[in-house]
Amino acid sequence: MLVDRILSNQEGSASRNFMISAIWWSLFAMGAGMFAGLEFSNPDLVHNVPQLAMPHLRMWHVNGVAIGWLSMGYVGAIYYMVPSLAKTRLWSERLGNFTMWAWNLLMVGAFCTLLNGVTEGREYAELCAVLDVMALVALACISLNVYMTIVHRKVKKLYVSLWYFLGALFWFPLVYLIGQRTFVYLPGLNDAIVGWFYGHNILGMWFTTVGVGMMYYLLPRTTGNPLYSHGLSMLGFWGIALFYAPTGTHHILQSPVPEWLKAIAVISSVFLLVPVLTVLTNFFMTMKGKWQLMVTDMPTRFTVTSCMFYLFTCVQGPFQATRWINWYVHFSQWVVGHAHLALLGTFSFILSAAIYYGLPRVSGRQWHSQGLIRAHWWLKFLGFWLMLASLTIAGLVQAAGWQFGIPIDQWSMQIRPYWFLRAISGIMIVLGQFIFAYNTYKTLYTPARAEAKARAKAQAAEVRA
Amino acid sequence: MYRAGALGVLITFFLIIWATVLMPMVLFNPKPSGNGNVYSYDEKAHADPARGRRVFVREGCFYCHTQFTRLQDRGYGPLVKAGDYVFETPHQLGTARTGPDLTNEGGKFPSEWQKAHLINPRAVKPGSIMPSFSYLSDKDMNDLVAYIQTLGNGREKKVTAYVEAPEEYKLALATKTVDTNSDAAANAGRGLYIQNCAACHGMEGLGNGPNSISLEKKPANFTRPFYKQYPDDFWFYRITEGVPGTRMPRWGDGATLADPRGGILTPEQRWYLVAYLKTLSKDRDREETVDNLRQLNKVKVEQLPILTKEQWEPPSGGE
Repeated sequence: MLVDRILSNQEGSASRNFMISAIWWSLFAMGAGMFAGLEFSNPDLVHNVPQLAMPHLRMWHVNGVAIGWLSMGYVGAIYYMVPSLAKTRLWSERLGNFTMWAWNLLMVGAFCTLLNGVTEGREYAELCAVLDVMALVALACISLNVYMTIVHRKVKKLYVSLWYFLGALFWFPLVYLIGQRTFVYLPGLNDAIVGWFYGHNILGMWFTTVGVGMMYYLLPRTTGNPLYSHGLSMLGFWGIALFYAPTGTHHILQSPVPEWLKAIAVISSVFLLVPVLTVLTNFFMTMKGKWQLMVTDMPTRFTVTSCMFYLFTCVQGPFQATRWINWYVHFSQWVVGHAHLALLGTFSFILSAAIYYGLPRVSGRQWHSQGLIRAHWWLKFLGFWLMLASLTIAGLVQAAGWQFGIPIDQWSMQIRPYWFLRAISGIMIVLGQFIFAYNTYKTLYTPARAEAKARAKAQAAEVRA
Repeated sequence: MYRAGALGVLITFFLIIWATVLMPMVLFNPKPSGNGNVYSYDEKAHADPARGRRVFVREGCFYCHTQFTRLQDRGYGPLVKAGDYVFETPHQLGTARTGPDLTNEGGKFPSEWQKAHLINPRAVKPGSIMPSFSYLSDKDMNDLVAYIQTLGNGREKKVTAYVEAPEEYKLALATKTVDTNSDAAANAGRGLYIQNCAACHGMEGLGNGPNSISLEKKPANFTRPFYKQYPDDFWFYRITEGVPGTRMPRWGDGATLADPRGGILTPEQRWYLVAYLKTLSKDRDREETVDNLRQLNKVKVEQLPILTKEQWEPPSGGE
């Protein structure tokens, strides 16, 4: 039936479809980032094509990666992990698939508008009013679905991952609603304050909380070890709930916004070390005796890599949020490197781990090739380090330029080599993602076709006989 | 127990929203300082800075250009105050400076320069990595330039004079032995130019000599009309000292003003060159003019023409 084809009721189908969509959009979004990187080292690469102008590519890259790749993948993982932890089915598989279509429509809209410069001009909140409403409706549907699944759960105790998922699905729709400012007109600096509340909390109350929840799910599952300490995990959860949300103003520390607000932001940024170190202690103690799995088991390797990058991000973040360091490195490519460390290093890796672990379990098929998974890991890992190193060095050169009043046309020549290295790293990362997509395609679609072919052959043989 | 947990999440979250989103709106209401940007439409100008701001937003300029000066910044004008931003929505404070800060950009460059810079940044600013915005329509371009020229609302003093040669080069004018306005001197300078300069600046001074291919910052195109405004002492200064930040050599290297006979080129030879270089820049009315930006993109970089249509100066931009 048509309804069953479009809004499938099959168990796990919503999760699978969300994961596939995430990989699909990641190709476009990461590809745009790579292309923008190429334009940095060769600014005359394209002329007269507004859709390929660097700022338009950047808008689409940021939104495509955040709303497309990471968010859709996260929802796919939540749709798999929540029922598995609650020992029940997803409350409504049809609603899940409906959300999947709505979100894909949203992404088509974002692709068409952002590349043409239809933007609200607010960083991370560029999407226009119609798309904002669509995103909110979709988020409400997802929250409803997950909360109802929890209501119908078969186990009484809520594992810590569920705390994170439920928290995120309460926080993120509200943060999104507050952060868009589509229908309100705030005076300039207030607009900036609310804007950075949103800009930082899309990370803090969505990417981090769901990402850490996935780490809590994957580490015990892939290693077979029980979680080291439930008490520590609760401490980490409440630490993030308390200290993450007020940090936004550290993005505009040298602008004329109130000093008390900056103080709150810097203090809570530094306090973030508490939940982060708690969480990571918990993870690394859980790994005890099972580190060798990093060599043999690919989901474990992705997860542990992601935890390592999480440690790096969250030590670097409070460090550069302090006034003295921020004074020096702000406005430079160092910050771009840091953003990639969080979203590409930590959260893309944990999402890849979740897909590598979850997709075989929701689709009932084994991965087409382990070698391709390894290739994906190596390309992304090495490409990412190259990107981080080149952006950080370029950022330090830039920062020195601003700090010592060197004219921009002198130091801008000095960072040309790093733009070039960044472009190469982008190519490596996108290549890795394409390998991931190819592997997924082969896994999901070719065996079915091969089986069907074999069956047809057998039938033909029967007829002949 | 879970009820208490849910209540805790609710309370902490709304406390934080109250403290960092609602309280700033109540407590932080800066009054307009009067130094904010004014985007009024000017009848004479035929351009609308308010619409230009929307073009600025649409083209995503703020991803690379910030709009607030900080205490540690040098050369970007006075520090901003909270009251300067009351009417700036959506805010364009920016996040990274891949290009220069634009807080006080208005009036720093002539509108014509801004326009040429938007069409082909590297033609007027060698080594820049700004993308070309040649796809903007005439109207968009004019409005965007109008917006750029209103930035800063005249907080910084306008640039009214060109860069001048140092004092000692003005004194050198008195000791020059060559009549730099004579054809004979220009002829003598031509030979020197072919020998020493043409490899980079080209036979016709278009800045397209064979060496220019390998140079990251392209050599100057001496046919540009604004070279008409160079005084003799400034030409002499540039030839003697080279151009900082480029590969232009110091042709007076080794010479001092006390003992001027040293150097790669003697002072006399440098004056002959001045006489020749002065003849290269073309008059405005003789230069190719173009009315259509689409045509413009087909013109060679080194012959970037003047835009005649809707020649326009902004309300507070100045020349």
